[in-house]
Amino acid sequence: MRVPIIGVGAVASVGRDADEIFANLCAGRGGLGPMRGFDGERYNGKQLFEIDDRPEQGADRPLRATAFLLDAVAQAAADAGLGDDLSGVPVLVGTGLRELRSAELWWRDGAPFGADRLHFGTALRERFGTTDTLTVSNACSASLYTLALGADLLAAGEADTVIVAGVDSITESMHGLADRVQPNPPTALRTLDVNRRGTILGDGAAAVVLRGEHVRWPGGRLWGRLRGVGMTCDAKHPTAPDPVQVAEAMRQAHRLAGTRPEDIDLVLLHGTGTPLNDLVEITAYGEVFGEAAGGPVLTGIKPMTGHTSGSAGLMSLVTTLQVMATGKVPPLVNLEQPIEEADGLRLVRGQEAKHEVALAQVHGFGFGGVNAVAIVEGS
Amino acid sequence: MMMTVTGVGVALPGADSATALATASRPGDPVEPAAVLGKKGLRYKDRATQLGLCAAQRVLTDAGLLADGVLTVDGTRTAVLVSSNLGNVDTVCRVVRTIADEGTHGVSPMDTPNASSNIIASEIAIRWGLKGPNLMLCNGPASGLDAIRWGAALLRSGRADHVVVVGVEPDNEIARALVGGPLVDGAAALVLERAETAEARGATVRAVIGAHTRGPDVAGTIGELAEVEAEPAAWYAPAAAVPALSEGLPVHDLAAVWGELSGALGVVQCAAAIGALDAGADGPMWLVAGTDSDDGVATLVLRPPAPAAARPSPAGV
Repeated sequence: MRVPIIGVGAVASVGRDADEIFANLCAGRGGLGPMRGFDGERYNGKQLFEIDDRPEQGADRPLRATAFLLDAVAQAAADAGLGDDLSGVPVLVGTGLRELRSAELWWRDGAPFGADRLHFGTALRERFGTTDTLTVSNACSASLYTLALGADLLAAGEADTVIVAGVDSITESMHGLADRVQPNPPTALRTLDVNRRGTILGDGAAAVVLRGEHVRWPGGRLWGRLRGVGMTCDAKHPTAPDPVQVAEAMRQAHRLAGTRPEDIDLVLLHGTGTPLNDLVEITAYGEVFGEAAGGPVLTGIKPMTGHTSGSAGLMSLVTTLQVMATGKVPPLVNLEQPIEEADGLRLVRGQEAKHEVALAQVHGFGFGGVNAVAIVEGS
Repeated sequence: MMMTVTGVGVALPGADSATALATASRPGDPVEPAAVLGKKGLRYKDRATQLGLCAAQRVLTDAGLLADGVLTVDGTRTAVLVSSNLGNVDTVCRVVRTIADEGTHGVSPMDTPNASSNIIASEIAIRWGLKGPNLMLCNGPASGLDAIRWGAALLRSGRADHVVVVGVEPDNEIARALVGGPLVDGAAALVLERAETAEARGATVRAVIGAHTRGPDVAGTIGELAEVEAEPAAWYAPAAAVPALSEGLPVHDLAAVWGELSGALGVVQCAAAIGALDAGADGPMWLVAGTDSDDGVATLVLRPPAPAAARPSPAGV
């Protein structure tokens, strides 16, 4: 499989579009700040990676996730030369938290909201005329799951063009439940660091446009090609990840892509900064890559974007495509002392690195043990 | 590549089988998950998850994928695909109210898994060791039929050999307020397999999955369906879709029986249609989920299984 990727879009705390996000990531500039939409008095952890689009601090409004999604999809469509009429284009959206933040504001504060806005199809139809849309709520691997579904749809010949996207805005329920068990909350997100203390959530959306392998198109840019996506489920624990099926997702991705670990130049880690996720991820990586583990450079963007949940996988994919286009690799900021299991690995630390990348592996793992790994090659 | 349904599971109030569902005229007693699953492991699971587990256990058993509590097929080749729109809305709303009233020290960490909408699909995987692709669709009124379409896609792409599709919605104060009326408090489930997989393991084919369409309105989507499918014998469709349907055929509006079915609708329609086929109904069943005022309309055709006499014998004689 070599599915062309012909458009990208993203919005996050660190930038309003894919270019601005990438420039800030390469410069090591993160988006962590005092929480703006929630009442800080109620939480131990008072910092989040939010998109600063609210009228005033401490006041929130509904449908922010929807707005982020529409923005990212519009960017990707424009980048691909598709314009704003997407009536014949399936749009598959991966999300962890849907518009549940709006449901919270509706129930608690009486904000206007209806069940037709919980999923994203209604807003996508209003804005782009789409009628074949999908909201997949697959926690933090959701957007790599939709990437797989989009590629499968093209392979089945059911569409010429597919947009896959991911989105999340932070819910108070998810942040509040994490806060409940973290009386000493993390002040920074430290992927693979011995002193990592947990994750910090972020707002974000990302989208890419996929085209059928044999379809000609008039505009857009060939960013790269999707080679394969592996999808597995731990079937073990609702919140604690398991290295067995995480490793199997990587192996499956390579089988589907027809690649080997020694072919990989770059790994974009899921890297949430929680004690268990980082350990499981790097253990599974070491097991699958074996002697080739010291080959690729490894980095991750969550220390600067926060954990953007449903959009995280595609946010990493968009970053990967930009690495391939520029040869610049954003650093794993906040990484001072790597864990023992990461010894001997080529972690990008301190500042941006230069590295030519032809083939990359992108990780997405989520609550419920839903794992997805994508292999992508440069153009 | 022919896709088939090889199992049906029903956990609706007063209906515990496709046959009971096909003839039900109003809801009966609420489903009691402990009576279906045993008490162990139900604590802290939300109502939607418990109902989903009930339907999943029944469908796995009905399809012969589960025998004496043991999986009879490869769990890594078995996918789970759940459709629910309102599944964890109650947990999320309840938690945020508690935070407003008491701060985060008032919330229970046991609610953490339920704050993520995919808890239903992951708990089904955990209970029976189903390690294939695991997907939670929360796709609005058409979501249940979308789940069957995407379940079939997982089979077509070779990502799984067996797909457990579950449609489920819980009834509670918060969900009722959001949808503005009474909701079903139940679930239905199907097992989907390629015809050759079903045949190889000697499974009974309950229905063949025909064409599907998705588009802006009922008339257009059923028009597309008519280009590739034989005339329907019956409709399963929302009341609002009726003006666009061909006259003179039975129309089953399941929401009139069960209340709002939301993300469970398409799966419950399939289960009811198969119940009717089991009882001797003939001809293709045409299913419609979503209306002209929604974000999209999905359709699907279920055909009766080919009669045994019409199948070529393995020896070719």
